[in-house]
Amino acid sequence: MGGILVGPRPPRWRTFRTVARNGSRYLVGSAVRNWVRNLGSTAPALGSMTLLLLLLGLGLLAVLVGQTVAATEARDASVLHVYLRDNATDVDVNTLTARLQGDRYVQSVTYVSKDQALVRAQSRPGLPQLANAAESNPFPASLDVQIRSIDRVGSVDALARQSPAVDAGVPSSYDPTAYGKFQQVLFWSAAIGIAFLLLLAFIAVTVTSNSIRAAILSRRDEIGIMQLVGAPTWMIRGPFVIEGAVTGAAAGTLAGLLALAVAVAAVEAGASSFAQIAPGLTLQAGLAIALLLLVLGLTLGSLSSLGSVRRYLES
Amino acid sequence: MEFVGVNRVYGQVVALDDCFFRLMPGELTFLVGPSGAGKTTLLRLINREIKPTCGEVWVDGMPAHDLPARRLAELRRKVGVVFQDFKLLARLTATENVAFALQVTDLKISDGEARERALDALDAVGLHNRAGHYPDQLSGGQQQRVAIARAVVSQPPLLIADEPTGNLDQETAWQIMTLLEDIAKFGTAVLIATHNMEIVNRLQRRVLTMAAGRVVDDRPAGRSARMMWAASS
Repeated sequence: MGGILVGPRPPRWRTFRTVARNGSRYLVGSAVRNWVRNLGSTAPALGSMTLLLLLLGLGLLAVLVGQTVAATEARDASVLHVYLRDNATDVDVNTLTARLQGDRYVQSVTYVSKDQALVRAQSRPGLPQLANAAESNPFPASLDVQIRSIDRVGSVDALARQSPAVDAGVPSSYDPTAYGKFQQVLFWSAAIGIAFLLLLAFIAVTVTSNSIRAAILSRRDEIGIMQLVGAPTWMIRGPFVIEGAVTGAAAGTLAGLLALAVAVAAVEAGASSFAQIAPGLTLQAGLAIALLLLVLGLTLGSLSSLGSVRRYLES
Repeated sequence: MEFVGVNRVYGQVVALDDCFFRLMPGELTFLVGPSGAGKTTLLRLINREIKPTCGEVWVDGMPAHDLPARRLAELRRKVGVVFQDFKLLARLTATENVAFALQVTDLKISDGEARERALDALDAVGLHNRAGHYPDQLSGGQQQRVAIARAVVSQPPLLIADEPTGNLDQETAWQIMTLLEDIAKFGTAVLIATHNMEIVNRLQRRVLTMAAGRVVDDRPAGRSARMMWAASS
């Protein structure tokens, strides 16, 4: 019968090279070959996973923008800007300032001149273009009133509006419902987004599992022989897990590139228009999200195929 | 290899009932009986394709009946298996089919070593000159030889064969049986499930006869006899 070769033990580096070569051939090579061969049956899994990751990426971009807007809103909500008439007298302004400072809910009152308002506007996204476009300074002088509790903004606003120094057209920045509505919109958007993503994740995992199941069925002869001759479990399962990881990586790369393209477009569009399209969004954030999508794709692909392999491959 | 009070039940059907027997190294044993007697179930218990309902199956000191899944590969490396339908990979040559079995069980085996051992095994089964042929370029008997070479290339202590001559003509079947007998001479315990009574009677080796899931007769080598199940059929 076939005898076992007897001879000196090979050097360790040669054994390592042999293991690496065989491993790459039977695990990675086999997985990639099968992935290419089964691309037709893998396409739905690739598509659903790409869609999931892309929506997740866009969701993350939206969360980033939402967080920036929410932080700005929260910060602004406890600061009441009382806009002064252009022809308000110093006496009226001083009287109003004194009355506001006398209120126990007011922490501080700061006078902002028209020039300072312009400078401040120029540091805000979207407003410099507006300031440059106007022939004269469109920003009014104001009193910035820092209020101790956000619940008391309404009463301080009512107090300020009584003064003749206040602009009758746009008396203050106070909008009793805006902040609450904004919070509600954010909450429901996040809830619906998460539910939708979970549904999509379920679909992506199911479709990927099924594509791996199809791959297992198409290679059942080879798997049967490997089991028969005593190939270790990881050797049998490995190529399928790698195949899933390749699908996930491809989906992650596609979704990452698309999300990055959206981020770049938003940043560029924001920089060249009056309106701030995506406050807080930067190229670095877009790159980080693209990288995250790649890692998530790899993980999702590997885990869903591992689950499928454990389910459909008998040991 | 030893069966100790082994039962296997599928739902209400008792496929194997209280089986006791032992195979010694170098012993060639035939397993005979009518269809449905439990021969294939018995073979499937040896390499743990299925678990016994109760009883013990020992293979080269390993408890096949109670082996955790992570050790199944270790058990299966001790059991060479040959099937009626050969189960060769069509995309691989004879040498590659044999070498594949070596390398997927041990990544440390280099291409050169795997090829050399595969060629040795093919030489032993008389197929050295067909080493580069694909399965569809080989006759049924030659394919079965490749399957046997694959089963013994790692020199397992036990070889089981389920109807290895079922698809072959009588002359080729005889050659295959002679080959299996040679393998046993080198110390491998060989268990062959077969319906080919002509060969069983000619070889005069130990015969286990099964009927309705039980081992109803255990005739030692050298005693020619007409099988009980054959008499009843």
